[in-house]
Amino acid sequence: MGGQLPAVGIGFRAAIADWTRANLDRFDALEITVDHCLAGSRSLRAAIFDLVGRIPLTAHGVGLSLGTDAPLDLAYLDEVAEVVERLRAPAYSEHLAFTRVPGRETAALMPLPKTEAVAESIIAKVRTVQSRVPFPFLLENITYVFEWPDSKMSDAEFLNLICRETGAGLLLDVENVYLNATNHGFDPRAFIDALRPGLVREVHMAGGVTISDGSLARPLLADSHSHPVPDAALDLLAYTLERHTPSVIILERDDRLEAGDEILDDIARIRARVAAARSRKIHGEALVGAAG
Amino acid sequence: MAKPLLELQVSLIEHLTSGAAIFGGGGGSAPDLEGIDRALLRVEARFSYAKRMEKITAVLPKTFELLGSGDTHVRAFVESCPPTTLSRLENACQFHRFLVSCWKHEAPDPPYICDVAALEIACAKVDADPEHDSSDRATGADRAHRGHIRRCPNVILLPCTYDVRPIFEPGSEKAAPAKRDTPLVVAMPPGADGPQVFQVVPAIFDLLAALNDWTNPQGLDVVPDFAKLIADLVARGLVEVRR
Repeated sequence: MGGQLPAVGIGFRAAIADWTRANLDRFDALEITVDHCLAGSRSLRAAIFDLVGRIPLTAHGVGLSLGTDAPLDLAYLDEVAEVVERLRAPAYSEHLAFTRVPGRETAALMPLPKTEAVAESIIAKVRTVQSRVPFPFLLENITYVFEWPDSKMSDAEFLNLICRETGAGLLLDVENVYLNATNHGFDPRAFIDALRPGLVREVHMAGGVTISDGSLARPLLADSHSHPVPDAALDLLAYTLERHTPSVIILERDDRLEAGDEILDDIARIRARVAAARSRKIHGEALVGAAG
Repeated sequence: MAKPLLELQVSLIEHLTSGAAIFGGGGGSAPDLEGIDRALLRVEARFSYAKRMEKITAVLPKTFELLGSGDTHVRAFVESCPPTTLSRLENACQFHRFLVSCWKHEAPDPPYICDVAALEIACAKVDADPEHDSSDRATGADRAHRGHIRRCPNVILLPCTYDVRPIFEPGSEKAAPAKRDTPLVVAMPPGADGPQVFQVVPAIFDLLAALNDWTNPQGLDVVPDFAKLIADLVARGLVEVRR
């Protein structure tokens, strides 16, 4: 991180479009959900494309369902390519997950069994995406409530394998790593350490809620994008920034959007972690230089 | 031999979108999902359900206010109409179709909820309409039809039994709509930020209903100042003139 600082911004949401425009100078970049450009209302599409040229935009998808064990929707990908170009976005990201099967769609991101066979299938699909959408493609790690019993690989092994074979980058959702580590009992720092150097191109941050249900063995952290980023996730961001150099950090917020002060406060807290990581890096490099 | 991944994925999504998984009760067995914690699947099912209902409520907020939180339609809807798309509008239309089918054999309560729901859906459809090309431009043999008029494609005609418009006005949530035939037109006038709702007189409503396709206005010149009327309808985004 001796070079340029990562841009820090938020995901653009229709419900706070006016607020976002009024606070545009507080952000370095905005993330646009490409599906809103394809299926959103006319006013939403107009509001999004009006931002082109006013602030750097990144392109993120939710509608591909990359992990469904069925052919990809090529027409959808062609439409995505047009949107990414129109947004002048540097990359296009999607989730390593599935949301639908033929004839039925769930609004939630479902995990995949982490096996070599599934990884091979995803690798072929990522190559298809890369051939249809001529922009760097990033995969995002999801949060998952349950695990498939036949998973054989760790999250990091699964991501590393697919990204290594395809050249795809990683949109690292730090909050998801924090939630998964807490819910499923692994070391989040070991996950970050296990990612290949240079893999993390963009970062997502968010804050969720804790679900306590009598039927659950223990409380479950949920990725609701509704509350301030927890300190533990910010600590994990700082740890990530010591090892990776993402170009963009996006705060995701989908609920309690009226709490604009919380959003701006989260942005300030993220910027503080970015600045501290940069300072540590420069200081570390200076010490190495002096010793040499 | 292990089951193909797609079969497992189908089993999972069918289970997660089932009423049994979301609301509890019987009928939720899914043998393909052995080894996955049922309590966690129930949490996942509720997440997914909550997201879907958020989308539907965002399009039909007043309808849901009128239905009330304890509405029994929702579970019946979930059980008979599984989600087929991520689209907010499509999910809302699916719910609206379900309500309309219910109202065929049970009296809507309150009686004006049908008009409220129809108006909310109409506004969402008009707002979602993709920008259409300059289809008002005559080409080739069609040039003889220059000057013909038609209803704009993105206009919805809504013959309401109640005048439900006060319900949508700020600060008048408690207003009970008057029962009177109210011909409404939902459109996106040029330059407007969002859909607008017009009440029109029955003659204009019938005229708009008749203008499904390009029509020679000469044959419609039924009222004085017809040209002025058409100009007004064009300005409101209700009618277009072939150029």
